[in-house]
Amino acid sequence: MLKQLFVGARREQAVIEEIKKHIVLLCSACEKFEHALREGDRNLMRLVPEMEREGDAIRRRIISLIYEGAFLPYLRPNLCRFVEVVDAVFDLLQETAQHYLNITLPEQLLGESARVAHLNHRMCEMLLYTFETTMEGRDLREKALAVRIYEKKIDDIKVGILKDARKIPIASFWEGESLSQFLSGLTNISNVIEDATDSLQIINVSMR
Amino acid sequence: MKVTEFMTTKIESIEAERMVYDAIERMVDRRIRSLLVVFPGDAKNAGVITARDVVFRVLAQDKNPQAVKIADIASRPIICIDKETTLDKAVSLMEAKGIARVFICDREAIIGVLSMLDVMAGVLILRARGEQGA
Repeated sequence: MLKQLFVGARREQAVIEEIKKHIVLLCSACEKFEHALREGDRNLMRLVPEMEREGDAIRRRIISLIYEGAFLPYLRPNLCRFVEVVDAVFDLLQETAQHYLNITLPEQLLGESARVAHLNHRMCEMLLYTFETTMEGRDLREKALAVRIYEKKIDDIKVGILKDARKIPIASFWEGESLSQFLSGLTNISNVIEDATDSLQIINVSMR
Repeated sequence: MKVTEFMTTKIESIEAERMVYDAIERMVDRRIRSLLVVFPGDAKNAGVITARDVVFRVLAQDKNPQAVKIADIASRPIICIDKETTLDKAVSLMEAKGIARVFICDREAIIGVLSMLDVMAGVLILRARGEQGA
C-alpha cells in the first residue's frame, strides 16, 4: 500500500530499503546470539554489541531520510516510532549479550534459554515478513497471530526458567544480579518485538 | 520445521499407583490436560492419563476417583517420536493413530510433548511464514 502511494518516489523507496536492512541486521544479531549461547562462544557473543552499533547508524539514517521529506507528514511519526522500537530490540539484545559475558550460565538453564533465543530469532524473521506484508498493503492478521503465538510460547518457557533459576545457588550479589538481568532481558526481547509488530499494525491501519 | 520448535518441555508426571483423584488435583492446579504416568521399572514403560480418560472412564461412569488407580485407566504405551521429526510427519502420525498428543524423545529420554494446540500454533506459524505445511 505504501509502495502504491509512493511509486517512483526515491526517498520513500530508500527508507523502505533501509528499514528492511535494519530488520535483517536484527535477525542476524539474534541468530548470532542464539549460536553463541548454544555453543558457549563468547567471541561470537561479542559481535552482538558491534551489530547494535551498526543498527544505530542505520536508524539515524532512516530518521534523517524521513525528516528530509520522505512520506506524508502524518505517517512520519508512526514510521519513526516503528524504527525506534526495532532499535529498542537491538538495545535489549545488546544488554542481554553483555550480561551473558558477565556470567557462567548454569547448565540447567542452558536448554530452555537457547530455546527462547531461537524463538526470538524466529520472531525477528516474522517481523521482517510482517514489514514486507505492510509494504505490499496486505492484511497483517496472520502475521500478527504468529507473533502472538511465539510470544505466548516464550512466556510459558519463562515460567519454567524462573522456577529452575530459583534452585540455583548464588555465590554473590553481582553474580545473582547479572544472571537475573540476563534472564529478564532474554525473555523480554519478544515483548519488544511484539510492540514493533503493533506499530506496524498502526501504520497498516492508518494507510487504509 | 521440527517438532522441537513447537513442543512443550515441561512435562508433569504422576506415579501409576496413585489415585485418579490425585491426577485430577494435579491437572486442575497446573491447568493442564494430561499427565505422564510413571510405572515402576523401565523409564520407557510410561503411560499417559488425560482429562478425557478421567471424564469418560471414571466420572461419567459414576466411579469414585478416589477409589480408582491411575494405572487402571492410563493409556500405554505412549507414542514417542524422534526430536528430529518434522511437524507434518508428527501430524500424519497423530491423525493415523487418532491421538491428541505425541511425546518427543531424544534417544531414551522424553524431552517434550506435542499437543493439538501446539500443532495448531505450528501450522499457523508455517502459514504466516508462507510455508503452509502440515
